Amino acid sequence: MIKKIVFFTFAVSFAGVCYGQAAEHPGKEYILKNGYQGPKTCEVCHPGKAKEFIGTVHWTHASKVDNVDNVKPNEVYGMKNRNYTMCNGNDIVNNLKEVPANDKGKTKFSGCNSCHPGDHASDVGSTGPAAEAAIDCLLCHSVKYDFSKRKPMKRNDGVVIIGQDRSVEAAANLGRPSNKTCMTCHEAAGGGVYVKRGFEMTAAADAHAAKKMVCIDCHVVKNHRIPTGFDPNNWAHDGLRLSCVGSCHTEKPHKDAQIDNHSSKIACQTCHIPKTGGATAKDFTVWTKLDNGFYEPSTLKKEVNETTPIYAWYNQTVANRPDFIGPKGSRIDGKSKIYPFKVFQGKAYYNKKTGELLSMDFAPPSSTGDTLAGVASAAKILGIKEYEPVPGWQTIYFSSNHQVAPKKRALSCANCHAPNGILNFKELGYSNEEIKNLTNPELYFQRLLKKQIEEE
Amino acid sequence: MKRVLSGVLVAAFMLVSVVMFSQTAQADEGKIVGTISKLVISADKKSATVVLKDIKSGEDLTVLITDDLTLDKFNDKRIVEGDEIRCKYEKDGGKNSSKMFKKTAGC
Ligand code: HEC
Ligand code: HEC
Ligand code: HEC
Ligand code: HEC
Ligand code: HEC
Ligand code: HEC
Repeated sequence: MIKKIVFFTFAVSFAGVCYGQAAEHPGKEYILKNGYQGPKTCEVCHPGKAKEFIGTVHWTHASKVDNVDNVKPNEVYGMKNRNYTMCNGNDIVNNLKEVPANDKGKTKFSGCNSCHPGDHASDVGSTGPAAEAAIDCLLCHSVKYDFSKRKPMKRNDGVVIIGQDRSVEAAANLGRPSNKTCMTCHEAAGGGVYVKRGFEMTAAADAHAAKKMVCIDCHVVKNHRIPTGFDPNNWAHDGLRLSCVGSCHTEKPHKDAQIDNHSSKIACQTCHIPKTGGATAKDFTVWTKLDNGFYEPSTLKKEVNETTPIYAWYNQTVANRPDFIGPKGSRIDGKSKIYPFKVFQGKAYYNKKTGELLSMDFAPPSSTGDTLAGVASAAKILGIKEYEPVPGWQTIYFSSNHQVAPKKRALSCANCHAPNGILNFKELGYSNEEIKNLTNPELYFQRLLKKQIEEE
Repeated sequence: MKRVLSGVLVAAFMLVSVVMFSQTAQADEGKIVGTISKLVISADKKSATVVLKDIKSGEDLTVLITDDLTLDKFNDKRIVEGDEIRCKYEKDGGKNSSKMFKKTAGC
């Protein structure tokens, strides 16, 4: 009986998934008949969706934050106003604009808030009827969206706007948001394809992509609130959290008790995400001139699967200082587990008078390479009058939460317990006596031998 | 017996890898940063031919694209004529086959 019920629920939820992908959207005929006038067309049948959307992080790029050091409890933080050395700017100081002409006479549009589903005239965090009417619903919901229309341009009155595809063709062809929907913005964050987090959602790189899973199969969306985890650099959230353990997996997912026994101390990601990729270091003080005449922050990059993580105890609270943003935790606090992180180091200007990291408007250095002019422009926008810029480095830890390797590439016993294993037991707080035990082949010898014989 | 077999296998494997290795070593690899001056998707949508104008030299290079991810980006116009691309390719039999094809821009 129970089995039947379980099967039935499974069948229903599975049908639900299929419905989203295959069935015709019930509003199609209405849209074909009445055209598409933006969100208000959708609101005829889905009232309240626009207002709901502008309350989420994907519109506000900020929220209150309660697990990070040195932030004020009543203020909001996010890409709108944060400053760290992956970006060194934000929606405010590096607002979307046409940059001055470079020495080849070329200009271009650039700015952080190009990754926003508004039209820029209604910008990050805007509210009211104009904002609600500006939402690009089809960017996420259409399967026939023409992305060549989604580009920055100047309106007749000189205001820079981001175009949208509001054609009936796009509005009449809705489908479930896919990986590439989300990758519209998430793919090229940090200054280029796979630069920031360096993960790829292809079958070869990711065990879930190999099963045709998409972002929102894990990030289950409720009323446009997209759940997130506890990456030390993802501060803004909509109050929903996800992790490997919960609705998808248990703490003991293996047929093998010896692996399961690690769950209380070692996060799933540690064994299952052995590599990521992306930028490992950037210099914002000296930009590199490109052949097209523009400059960009000097960046050391790696392909996906090329960077080896650093491992640290993490209790989901975050150290936030001018020289370091990363995990807090310890072996003995009872809340931490060992997690993998991509280490990134960025050089930028600090204010010698306060020790704070200064932010940068990218427009001036993009065209001339003059990074101090970028700092001056940002300081002016923020009303900072007293500053003395000095270069310095910041170290940042990014969580490795994607690109779950195919299971045969998951870390095995000797990857950690051999003397040259990936974990620095000493730094992780183990005593010499414990390390002797943890690096004793006794722990794994028989089992690896058996496996080897099976495979020979 | 098992030993002998695996020995043979190892030898065969080594031979194959030597051959493969020398092949990749022979194959001419190139890279280019250029703007797309022409983009033609084949009738069966399984490939596309792109002309890239080298930013540095101004010379044209024709590249063949066959990977689904990139083809899909042509299809919904995420990548269009005029975009600046960083591309790595392999010369095989007179064709330049793309191995990496990414927009240079980010945010
Ligand atoms: C004439 C009415 C009508 C219009 C107009 C309409 N829809 Fe729908 N839509 C429906 C109905 C009915 C359903 C199925 C019931 C439901 O899930 O609410 C639906 C379902 C959906 C779903 C899928 C819900 C799910 O979980 O499967 C999405 C997403 C959606 N609509 C988005 C939109 C967007 C975006 C617009 C504007 C471009 C729009 N709709 C316009 C009637 C409409
Ligand atoms: C229009 C651009 C854009 C699209 C499309 C987009 N994102 Fe985002 N997303 C962002 C930006 C920008 C942030 C950073 C917000 C911040 O930290 O201030 C973000 C943050 C997030 C976060 C962390 C914060 C949160 O809201 O929980 C998650 C998770 C996320 N996105 C998942 C997704 C998924 C899944 C999709 C596809 C359904 C998607 N995003 C589509 C731009 C986008
Ligand atoms: C950043 C991407 C994004 C934008 C922009 C967006 N949505 Fe959604 N929407 C989603 C995702 C993701 C889901 C969840 C789909 C799923 O789980 O199948 C969703 C679900 C929905 C649903 C069905 C579920 C529900 O909550 O009732 C409707 C209807 C909908 N959106 C309408 C809209 C409308 C109308 C707009 C514009 C005002 C809009 N969306 C803008 C990403 C977006
Ligand atoms: C297999 C499940 C799964 C899939 C598929 C998935 N995510 Fe996640 N994602 C997670 C989990 C779990 C976390 C948080 C883990 C934690 O912090 O402990 C996360 C965190 C995030 C974050 C916060 C920053 C970070 O890296 O921790 C963003 C942004 C995000 N995901 C975007 C995406 C996008 C975009 C896609 C699709 C291209 C996607 N995710 C696909 C499981 C998934
Ligand atoms: C100490 C390392 C380690 C940790 C920690 C770990 N795993 Fe695994 N996991 C493995 C290895 C190794 C395999 C491959 C086992 C095999 O092939 O028999 C595996 C296999 C799996 C499988 C595939 C099982 C199957 O039978 O196909 C799943 C699912 C999985 N792990 C989920 C998780 C989750 C969820 C967590 C966190 C609760 C986790 N793992 C933590 C090492 C680990
Ligand atoms: C990601 C690294 C990692 C992998 C992979 C891993 N271990 Fe461990 N293992 C640890 C760490 C760290 C501890 C200590 C945990 C603690 O603090 O209690 C540990 C503890 C143990 C212990 C308990 C030792 C003791 O005396 O307290 C045993 C037994 C063990 N591991 C066996 C294995 C076996 C068998 C495998 C392969 C199936 C394996 N481990 C894979 C990191 C790993």
